[in-house]
Amino acid sequence: MQQYDAIVIGAGNGGLACAATLAEKGKKVILFEKHNIPGGCGTSFRRGRFEFEVALHQLSSMGTPEKPGPLRELFRRYGIENQIEWIEIKELFRVNFPDGTGISIPADRKNCEAFLCSQFPQEKESILRYFETVYAFCSESAAFAEKSAQSTGEPSAAKKAIMKMGFPKMYPTLARYALKSTQEVLDEFFKDVKLQLALSAYWCFMGMPPARFPWSILAKCTNIYMEDKPFYLRGTSMMMNQAIMDAVQRMGGVVHLNRGVERIVLEGGAAVGVVDEKGEEYRASKIISNISPLATYGALLQPEEVPQAAQEYLRPYTIGISALTCFIGLDCTPEEIGFATSFTLNYESFDANEDFKDAYKLLPEKDPLVATCYTVDDPEISPPGTSIITAGTLKYSAEWEKLTPEQYYEKKYEAGKRIVARLEKMYPGFTDHIEEMEVATPLTHMRYLNHPGGAIYGYEQDVMSSVFFFPAESKIPNLEFASGWVNACGFGPNYLFADKVATKIALEV
Amino acid sequence: MAKSIKETLLGTLVHGEEILENIRVMREVSQDKITAGNEADVRIAPLHTKELNLVVSSVADTGKQAKVIRLSSQNGYLPPFEAGQYINLFAEIDGVRTSRPYSICSSPRQRAYYEITVARTKDGFVSDYMLDEVKEGDTFTANGPAGVFRYQPVFHSKRSLFLAGGSGITPFMSMLREIIDAGLDREVTLLYGCRNVENALFHEELSGYAAEHPNFTYHLVLSDSAEGWSGEQGFIDAARIARLVPDFSERTCYICGPQVMNDFCKSELLGMGVPLKKIRREMFGAQRDITKEPGWPVDLTGQEIFRLTVDGRVIEAKSGESLLTALERAGVRVNVCCRSGECSLCRVKLVSGKVFLAQGILQRKADEAFGYLHSCKSYPVSDVEIML
Repeated sequence: MQQYDAIVIGAGNGGLACAATLAEKGKKVILFEKHNIPGGCGTSFRRGRFEFEVALHQLSSMGTPEKPGPLRELFRRYGIENQIEWIEIKELFRVNFPDGTGISIPADRKNCEAFLCSQFPQEKESILRYFETVYAFCSESAAFAEKSAQSTGEPSAAKKAIMKMGFPKMYPTLARYALKSTQEVLDEFFKDVKLQLALSAYWCFMGMPPARFPWSILAKCTNIYMEDKPFYLRGTSMMMNQAIMDAVQRMGGVVHLNRGVERIVLEGGAAVGVVDEKGEEYRASKIISNISPLATYGALLQPEEVPQAAQEYLRPYTIGISALTCFIGLDCTPEEIGFATSFTLNYESFDANEDFKDAYKLLPEKDPLVATCYTVDDPEISPPGTSIITAGTLKYSAEWEKLTPEQYYEKKYEAGKRIVARLEKMYPGFTDHIEEMEVATPLTHMRYLNHPGGAIYGYEQDVMSSVFFFPAESKIPNLEFASGWVNACGFGPNYLFADKVATKIALEV
Repeated sequence: MAKSIKETLLGTLVHGEEILENIRVMREVSQDKITAGNEADVRIAPLHTKELNLVVSSVADTGKQAKVIRLSSQNGYLPPFEAGQYINLFAEIDGVRTSRPYSICSSPRQRAYYEITVARTKDGFVSDYMLDEVKEGDTFTANGPAGVFRYQPVFHSKRSLFLAGGSGITPFMSMLREIIDAGLDREVTLLYGCRNVENALFHEELSGYAAEHPNFTYHLVLSDSAEGWSGEQGFIDAARIARLVPDFSERTCYICGPQVMNDFCKSELLGMGVPLKKIRREMFGAQRDITKEPGWPVDLTGQEIFRLTVDGRVIEAKSGESLLTALERAGVRVNVCCRSGECSLCRVKLVSGKVFLAQGILQRKADEAFGYLHSCKSYPVSDVEIML
């Protein structure tokens, strides 16, 4: 039986970063991955002349080499910053409206403010006040996070009462906006619906419509992307996966691909090891699960081993949304077909919340359509004269799970046809340029991610399940969680969260 | 119970109390979310079964040196597939566990069984076994169905040109049978290249379909000259395609056959002005004699034996055989599916040494950058160390 300081289950972003940080700190760590490649949700696949990115749109928290963001600093520590060619994205996104107009948002606060003021002069004051609020919110929440990181344990009742009184005064923006939905805040500031839609586009990164999307996440996204700039990288997200995996091994960690964990071993109710799919047992002081809490408790433990406290703790959380995505290789350049901004959000009406309801249906109807043309960011991502576009909608898996196997392929291509028809309307001639195309349904995501519901963002990231309420606690001693299921999902947030988890564990093992 | 500091502070936020109350209620009244087992696995199994447990239900001759093997499921269930896809069949032959991908040739409109066709190949380690040993009642495991050589209704033309060579007819049989069984609104012209009529698989069935179904046109093209043959003779080249299929430019073209034929037809079509997007090719395993591949090191004969170190163990590897084959011979279990460089399941990391890469490998950029190989199409040309 092999003994380790820590065992990590799953080489998704969280698992990779956990293993890398533990290895960096001199801990004996082993990482198991069931799939034949590392990366979890963020991988790539090949078709014909094309390599398709499956997840990454915009890497956050990178910053420039001169003014590094926290993620670049983490990659520096891992020694991989210079192994990868980072590509700065100049525009945050473009929102296209059903009337044929659209708004592109610059990745810079001043330019963005100036541009929006010129487009919506009657809302000039609100625009400036909005950005003030976004930035104030982010600095207050950073200050509060720093302060709470210093405190240890529960304060006395008297101190609690003082803190309760003082909090809204010390952190007024936080107190007022931290638990509001995006729609609530946008309604408070703006009248023009186009302006609201232009400022809220990042809701689709978390899979919650503006009415349910925590404004605090939107504020953070806006702030981080404007300050640290959005980045893509050469060679798809697989490049990061492989670089981090390499770093783990270079720093003395062990990584096993093609080897899933069969079960977690408990002794006296505490996690002490795992058994892999070959039946070999490994022991460690800490077990870190980078798969969903549901699969961790449900599939890696016997039913009688699952603490009742875990059941109760997870009851408020709902499995989140999946996606319906078309991966398309075109035999023309982005300019030829009319793509100028890499990331676009395309509306069929001016009511995003209403349109979002179609996410519960089987086929795409009015669903807001997300389209990313990676070639705009990285002209070398595919051969000269070609481009790569992924386009799709957020979709819940429920209706897809009801299909019989016989119906599946027909519906899958029907869904693909509808998405291509939407693109054809916006970019005439689009269909004739398709050279390769693959349709991924919620069931495809379920197959490759092994997530219930084919969830791509973990749990629903609504106000009562995210930010302050992520289900990050483990109910089994020595078992920890690190994935996007228990924290803000996405590349940057997940790497940084896992680093934090691993740093804490490194002090304990 | 006294509130924690976190709850206390959250309570001071706008909406705070209301959300905390919601969570408290949900913890009490909402249903349990943790269920035994992995839900995703269970839901996805009817579409993509991890391992197929198959049993041979019949073996029938077709043509001179080929057999149709009908496989049914030991548990009665076979997942659906798209016409043109393959299964990868595992077999243990002379103590070596290996596998071969076979296109399914039966129609996807029935799933009581999958049929595959095995044709004799020269020195065919597996095909000899399949043709000479396999009998009704034998069992196999397999993975798949998999593969992307299929009609993609979103952007392929409803008019198809099928170019088949030898046993490369098998995926087309599945596609055609589906079109005919289900009466699909599609139109197909098939040019089937074979050495002689005896080698042409399913010739009678294809001729019958062509006679009965106006949306299917069939030309057998023989490469050997034969007495009494009044049909097409020669190769499937540009002139023949242009003559037999004047509307070729409006069709999506599909090629499946030996690598030489596959490459030749592709270049003929490109030469005729058919764009890449209208040329769909079935992937292919590496040439039997890899030393004939362009770029093969001239000083190597394919017979050299090198040391292959894998996770600390040293085994023998012949330069003319893929790393995957060497691993299988030594009993090392490697994930595998397409054996054609496409699916990446057999990916391994090259730690040291040199390998020769056959054509047609679909590698990721990151794999290139970090030294990963698809072992099915990588050949050792020095002592080599790999990591699984």
